[in-house]
Order: sequence, then C-alpha cells, then structure tokens
Amino acid sequence: MHPAAASHCHEVRQHELRRTRLQMIDGALVGNLRSSEGGTSARVHRDGYWGFASAPGACQGDALERLLALADRHARTMARFGPRPVLALPATATTRLDDQTIAGRPALSAADCAERLAALHAHCSRHYPGLRSTRFMLADERHDKRLRTSAGGESLARIARALLAVALVAEGDDGGPVELVELLSCKGSLADLELSVQALAPVIEQLHDHLQAKRHAVTARGGLRTVVMAAPLTGLLAHEAMGHPCEADIVLGGAVTAGLVGRPVASALVTMVDFAHHFEGSELMIPVYVDDEGVPAQDAVLIDGGQLTGFMHSRETAARMGRPATGNARAYGPGDEPLVRMRNTAVLPGHSSMEQMIAGVDDGVLLLKSGNGQADSTSEFMFGINLAYEIRGGRLGRALRDTTLSGSAIKVLQTVDAVGDQMHWTCAGYCGKKQPMVVSMGGPALRAQAQLGGR
Amino acid sequence: MAADDELPLATLAERALASMARRGFEHAQVDVSRRRHTELNLAHNEPSLLRSGHSHQLGLLGLLDGRRAATELADLSAQALDDAVSALWLAVQSAPQDEANAVSSGQRADIRQGPLLRDPDHPDHCGDGAATLSPEDAADTAAAAMAELRNWRAEHAPTVMIEEAYAAHVQCNGHTLTSGGSSLASALAWYELHVMATAHERGRTSSFNYTGGSCDGLAGRPLVEHCGIAGMLGELTRQVNTEPLAEKFVGELVLGPPAVAALVEWLLVQLADQALIGDSSLYRQRVGEQVASPLLSLASRFNAPGVAALSADAFAAPPVMLLQAGRLRTLTPSLYGSRKTGLPHVPLAASGWAIEAGATPLEDLVAAVPRGALVGRLSMGRPAANGDFSGVIKNSFLIDQGCRGPALREVMVSGNVAEMLQSVRGVSAERIDTGHWLLPWLHIDGLHFS
Repeated sequence: MHPAAASHCHEVRQHELRRTRLQMIDGALVGNLRSSEGGTSARVHRDGYWGFASAPGACQGDALERLLALADRHARTMARFGPRPVLALPATATTRLDDQTIAGRPALSAADCAERLAALHAHCSRHYPGLRSTRFMLADERHDKRLRTSAGGESLARIARALLAVALVAEGDDGGPVELVELLSCKGSLADLELSVQALAPVIEQLHDHLQAKRHAVTARGGLRTVVMAAPLTGLLAHEAMGHPCEADIVLGGAVTAGLVGRPVASALVTMVDFAHHFEGSELMIPVYVDDEGVPAQDAVLIDGGQLTGFMHSRETAARMGRPATGNARAYGPGDEPLVRMRNTAVLPGHSSMEQMIAGVDDGVLLLKSGNGQADSTSEFMFGINLAYEIRGGRLGRALRDTTLSGSAIKVLQTVDAVGDQMHWTCAGYCGKKQPMVVSMGGPALRAQAQLGGR
Repeated sequence: MAADDELPLATLAERALASMARRGFEHAQVDVSRRRHTELNLAHNEPSLLRSGHSHQLGLLGLLDGRRAATELADLSAQALDDAVSALWLAVQSAPQDEANAVSSGQRADIRQGPLLRDPDHPDHCGDGAATLSPEDAADTAAAAMAELRNWRAEHAPTVMIEEAYAAHVQCNGHTLTSGGSSLASALAWYELHVMATAHERGRTSSFNYTGGSCDGLAGRPLVEHCGIAGMLGELTRQVNTEPLAEKFVGELVLGPPAVAALVEWLLVQLADQALIGDSSLYRQRVGEQVASPLLSLASRFNAPGVAALSADAFAAPPVMLLQAGRLRTLTPSLYGSRKTGLPHVPLAASGWAIEAGATPLEDLVAAVPRGALVGRLSMGRPAANGDFSGVIKNSFLIDQGCRGPALREVMVSGNVAEMLQSVRGVSAERIDTGHWLLPWLHIDGLHFS
C-alpha cells in the first residue's frame, strides 16, 4: 500500500451483473426472466473533483484508454467551479489480491426453477384450499467485479445472493384481503436456497398459522409501548435506524450522529458492527474483501457497549474526517459510481431467550415481521409491521392489524433491556440510496420501548 | 461486437425477431434500447462529480405452445443473440402452459419527444439530425443548473445542507417488434433533477427531505421552480426545531404531493394485474361506482417528460381516466391480465399520472383544518392489501384552528387508504409537476394521530 498521488488517481472496473426472476401467482408463471448486463467504468480523481464514464462491454486497449480519457475530461471540466482543496485520499491496495470465489452448488436450470415453484403451489393448493391466493417469487443475482487502480491494485470481487418470497392471501373478518409474506435468502444462487416442498412445508405451515390469526386481528393501541422485536426486525433496525446515520457521507451532511462519537447512544447491552466479510469465523452473505475503490475492507464498529465509536467510510469521507477508509465504497451496477454503502450490518447477540423476553412483559407487543423501513438523518425511523401479537402478563394474545413502529433509534436503543441469544441474518432486500444495493443485516431479538402506530 | 453496436435499433430488432422465428417460437416480442446520460452531482453543497455513460439492452420474450420465457442481455452481437435465443428455447420448454400468454398485434407508434441529442452520423443512437443538442451542451446545462441551485441556497436558505443533488440529461431510444406485426419506436430525452437536503441551526438538524423529477428543459424559469424545490428547501429551514404531539386525537391532514403520490401508488396496484389475478383487489367489482371523493379525478399523462406512451407488453397507451369525480372508470389489466381474468385490456405506460387541480388555494385548505397537520412526506410501510396503514408524518407542521403551528416530530397517523380516498374534503389549486406526477395537496379527515 502507498499513499495515493496527491492530485490524480483513477480506478477502472469491469462489472458483470446476472439476474434471474420468476414469479408465480396461483399457479400461473407470470414472470420468467433472466438478464445479464456488463460494462466498464473509469473514475478519475483530479484536483479535488471526480470524473466518471461508463460504456457497455469489457473495454480493452484503445477503448479503455478513451474511457479513461473521458473520465479525466469530466474531472477537468469540474474545474469550472473553481479550485477545490485537494484531499490526500487513503491508500488503496497496490498489488493483485486473491480472486474471490463463490463455492455454491451448480446453478438451477429454468426447468428446475419452474418445477419447484409448481410443486410449492400444488402443496399450498392441496393443504390450504381456503386461501384466496398464493404467490411465489424466486430471484437471484450475481456480481463479478474486476477492479484495477492507478496504484497498481487489482482484484476480482464476487457477490451472489438468492431469495424466495412466499405470499399467502386470505380473507379477513371484514371480507377484505389479509396477506403475509415470508422471505428466505442465502448467499449464492437459487441452487443454494432450500426449495424443496419437504423443507419448506413447515415454514409455509407456520406462515399459514399466523395468517389465520391475522384474519381476526385487532387494531393496535398506539403510543409508547414495550416491544419485543424478533431477530429479523433487529437487523432492520441496525441497518435503517443506526446504519444509515453512521454512513460517513450522511454524517458529513449533518446527521445527528456527527457530534456523538464517544458518547452513549444505546444501552450498554448493544454493540453494532458493519462486518466486511466474516462473523464468528463464517463468511457472511455479502462478503466484501475489497471495495469498489480498491480498499481492503475492514469491519466498522459503529456502537461498542452502547457508545458510538465510528462510521463507515469511502476514501473521500475518510480523508475529510481524518479516519481510515473502511472499504464501504460500493457501486451497484456497471454504470454506477461507488457510494458509501453498508455490507453486513448487525447488532451482536446477548444472553436472553425469546421466551424470557416475552415473559418479562406485562403489557406490550411482539413484533415478528416487517415489510420495509426508512430512517432519517435525525435517527428517527419507521418500520411497517405486518405481523404482531399482543403480550399480556407475559403471554401472547391476539394478532394485530398492520401497524408501524417508529421512534428515535437512539432513544429506542437506549431503552433496550434484553438482547436475544440467537442471531438471524438475511440478504433478501435492497438498500436504496441513489442506487440500489445488495446488503445483509443481522441481529438477535431485542426488548425496548418504541412508538407503535394505532388508535 | 463493435459493428453490431453500430447497427440501427430497427435492424437489431428485426434480426432478433427473425432469429426467434427461425428457432421455432410461435410468438415473440423483442425490445432493443440504447440509453445515454450525462449527470452533474453536488455533495454537501459542493460540486463533486461529472458522470456520463451509455448502455444498451436487448430484451427477448418467446411463447411456445402457451409457455412463456424472457431474457435480457447487454451484448448486441450476433453470437450473443444466438446464445440467448438457444437458452430461451430451453427455458420456454419447461414453463407451465398458460393460454393467457400472448403478444401484441398490429400496434404502431413512432414517438420523438424532449431535448434530443444531435448525432447526425447515427441518428437512432442518440437523437436525430434535426436536434441541435450535443452531450457537451447537456453537461453545460446540468452544470449551470447546479450552480444556480448553489447560489439560491446560499442566498435564500443558508442553513440548508444539500446532502446530494444532481442534474442530468438522459436520452433513451427504443424499438419494439412483435411477431404479431407491432412496431413501436421511440426517442425520448429529458432532464432529471434530484435534491436531497437537511437544515441545521445551533447544533440541531431537521429531518431530511427530497424532491426531483423530469422535465423537457431547464431554461426559461428558475431552477428552484421545478419539482417544488424552492418550497421544499424553504420549509426545511422551518423544520429544525420540532415538537411532539401533546396527546392522541382524531384529526385532519393536508397531504403534500409526495404523500398524495403514496396514496395513488396504492390505488394503481389495486387496479393492476397482481391484485386482479390474485383476487385481492378491493375494486375488481366496483367499476362505475363511486370509490373516492367527488373532488378527485385521476388521469394519465403519458406524454409527460421522460414518459413514452407505450406499455411494457408492446401496446400504444392512449390517455386513460381512472377516477372521474371519484367514480372508478376502469381497471388496468395488461394483455396477460386481461386474458387471465376476462377483464377488458387497458394498456398503461410505465408512469405519468395527474390529479385534477381543485379551486381552493393551499392556504385556504390549511385554514379549514380545525386540528391536524400539514404533511410534507409520509414515511410508511406498504399499506396492507385492505388499505390499512400507519406511518410517520415527516417534514410536517401542526395545524391548530386553521393556523400553521410548529414543525412536528415523531408523530404517527393511521387510517385506511381506501377510506382516505373517500374522505377527501378539498383539493388545492396549486400542483407540483415532477414529470411522472402532477399532483395537488389534498385535505383529508378522519385520521388517528398518536
């Protein structure tokens, strides 16, 4: 590694992106698509400004030189805005790094995918004739990124993830539709996702049981409530509510976290990390060994024992804040520039069982499924809650209609009084921030105080 | 490969359609497109990046014996086409038979709109010979737009931090052919704007807010008059100091256009294929009925900047009225959805909707609210299929006895979207045009605040 040239550096990325997406509604295959795209991009940093150019295909030789020259011209064009302080960007790798590999099963054929969906549909039709509708969606995507930097670094990074969505629709007490969705995901291709009826029958059975309860659901009582968040919601909390305010570009934009480093932002029970590639000796779902700027990726410890400790950085944000780059600069598509993005963001497990956490609640709510979430620079967040149950006297009660969880993430995390002992990871969703991005998120169950929507 | 990249889109489409016919597909649709963009970015109030790119895509959809498969590729070479058609042939064999699968027939369109780039050597690559705009001109326009935004911020909203913003010129040319004889050509260009910002004062931070959209040109009026930028940035400066609600109550909302878009999006999903095929739509049996307030009329604007009046299943998309004075005029199944459900086919473009303006000035809508909130943005999960929702109101102000009060924080509202559409009490005369949306403010009652 050596420091970047003071005023000029560049990187070139060749990026292939392959995707599969099948959707079945009530046995009809309404979507059956495979896509591939590939392109080359060049990014130049000159005199404090960036220039970026992209073109389809794997550009070589003269075509690559022209692309680099165009990116350089773009950076020079920015000089029309006047001189800008030149940043000493942190170093990138200077040698060829080992190629990243994906050790998955051989890919499923189109016939395999269609056959598995048809079998799942037939299972639901046979066992759950009272359903109004069933939907299945299979999707996978794979990124292969070959990066070369002007410092001499070279790397081949690979990310692959697959997911299955199962949606069951029934009729509620009021005659209207009631729906629940289960998302299953894994690292690798659809071949690495367990799709057999035998394996999924218990999952679908449990989803159906919840759906039957939700048919008779009651409206939540709104206000500040004691909530037990199931592990998947904690991952979302880690990503949305505290992860985004800890992205250094958001911090530089004035996020509330900017002045809180070293100060308590959560209960001492809470530690939160954006992992680069491994957790407890196992490779994670979105393993990033080197980012799209050529920086070897490091774990970013965001909250340690309740104290805010640091942020996720690109080379530029690291230079602006005087911190090391963490390898969080990632680009989604072949024509996209790297932005500060999360990788595998998680709250670390504690020592409580789910049963203990529920038993300790006299009047509260168990939150099991979330549809989506959003967060703010203020750390205020919102999760749509699609499956929840009342807790009364330490026991589960009635199901609740769809509601929303919200609050200041800092205030909510400061009220955490129990952390579960079981981790749950998922890579099913996309993070949105100018570009989409595949990320994973993880965590155990948490018990805290938060605002619940309702009447 | 370079030679194939240079071919006109129509030639590439014809070659692909012929290849699929030779392979034995009974019906086919091919879509070829080229896209070029130039984008100038601000980060943290400062110019940061000039980005350009071009890409192309070939989409193939094949039907065989009622079976359907599709693929998309970015390699336009003859070899890649052969490989893709062979893979598609294998994929279609294993798809389930469904007699609802079909492709369009006899459709014709040739759309050219927006600030097209000049490319006299390759007319369908980027524009046409009559256009005068060069990529350098487009970059200059984007740079001037961002310079104007910076100057406006410094003069009118110095407490605002523009976290990210960009101005871009985008051009997308496409050609679609089907085995049924449809031929749809388009050359669309537009400018895109996006601004995301927060405001800061004495160590306090507002919620972020954002706006953006597409337009045919950036000259002729101040940049901040596009997409409601001035209003959004101005209001941010009044959202640094916020107050929570003192108590729960049932009250009224004046929803800003971004929040109104969330309601319309839910309605559009209810009227489309998935909800109709899966029988989860609240509206399947309600065409011709009053499903919304008589004050609400919702119609397409498929000629909006950045929108082509073409459907994904290769139909020209004529204008369509969804709600007329609150009465539901039609559902919107695609060709497949129509054949699956027996409902009349209604082709839709990918976007482009407008709610008719009302006669009441926004300030009068606010003045009519005894207790409630003026809502800039609604942060919520996807409303349930039955319309139930709850969400956090962001960038919002308390309304008390018709007067705008302090900015709010951590306030939730809950209700039902279907009921909200029926509970519209007023529609503003003002609307914000973001290209894909042209929407007013709506006054709605009966919401639960907590």
